[in-house]
Amino acid sequence: MSLFLLNILLALAWAALTGSFRPVDLFFGFALGYLVLWLVLHKNRPRYFRQIPLLLGLFLYFTADVLRANFRMAVTVLSPRMKLRPAVVAVPLILKSETATILLANMLTLTPGTLSLDVSTDHQTLYVHTVWLDDIEEFRRQVVDGYEKRLKELFEP
Amino acid sequence: MLGEILVMALMLFGAFFMFLAGIGMLRMPDLFLRMSSTAKAGTLGAGLLLLAAAIHFGDFAIATRALAIIVFLMLTAPVAAHMIGRAAYFDGVPLWKGTIRDDLRGHYRASTHALETTAIPEEDRLPDEAELETRKPDLDR
Amino acid sequence: MTDALWILILALLSAGLVFAFIRLARGPYLPDRVIALDLISILAMGFIVAYAVRFDQPNFLDVAIILAIISFLGTVAFAYYLERRV
Repeated sequence: MSLFLLNILLALAWAALTGSFRPVDLFFGFALGYLVLWLVLHKNRPRYFRQIPLLLGLFLYFTADVLRANFRMAVTVLSPRMKLRPAVVAVPLILKSETATILLANMLTLTPGTLSLDVSTDHQTLYVHTVWLDDIEEFRRQVVDGYEKRLKELFEP
Repeated sequence: MLGEILVMALMLFGAFFMFLAGIGMLRMPDLFLRMSSTAKAGTLGAGLLLLAAAIHFGDFAIATRALAIIVFLMLTAPVAAHMIGRAAYFDGVPLWKGTIRDDLRGHYRASTHALETTAIPEEDRLPDEAELETRKPDLDR
Repeated sequence: MTDALWILILALLSAGLVFAFIRLARGPYLPDRVIALDLISILAMGFIVAYAVRFDQPNFLDVAIILAIISFLGTVAFAYYLERRV
């Protein structure tokens, strides 16, 4: 985490030195700072350098999922006979950290078609409402492999 | 000129997704389906409109404000959906007839409102579907 | 050309508003009405943003912020009430 702050500080330093604080400059400064930190520290602190690509991958996966599901939802809502196979599914929760669980629940709700309803008090199961349940094992696998494993690597070393 | 076309396209898509949220709200057969079609179509629509505003004004302070609203919406919309869904489940709003399975049934404790992974004994469960049918579906309970 | 597009955008938003209002009137359960109100406030926010861009008034965006905050608080308060009243 402190490395992330240091990276932001390097980005700010870059922007201050070049004298322009446009978002593009800040991004470029961040990328440059990341490169420098990698050159100096990638042997001692390898975790941080795995996390940033993971975060990027998760963000891209989430964006693609949102676009795909939004399209499917638009088709469903506009077609004269709506094809619905709704279900409430219990999904096993492999995450321990609270932040990761909240992020997972929020991302699932923001993906059209799925709605996270509740987490059990013993933190073992997440109950998800879905609009199209094609195959229950397939659905559970999508949540666990697509989101939970990435979040676990990001938040739990 | 190119920026203006981008702004108009974003606004059009945003308005379209909000329109879809309205249609979903009207056509979907039960509360949970309505929430899954509106909570995000609404958020995505508002997000696209705000993004268009951020590009249109092109000012750093205004763009930050628009992005702040987008982040706020993305953080709060799921929380609101979770709270309403949970409250509705306790309140006895039934799921649609075509619902394939309901793993939540029999896992809420009626006395403490706690959700447990193992099945709850019969006497502490929430009233089930058959009992709910007899209730009046409106405000005056 | 742009005028026609603006009319289309505002018409789409208005249609959404009408649909949400029908759901608000029809119910049938109280939570249905709550989410209809939530959607109405998001649509009102969309209107405000569209007007801000159309008439070049960035100050309107502040109204959108306040509306987003108040509608979230309102929904949460309603959810609390719904869960306690059983």
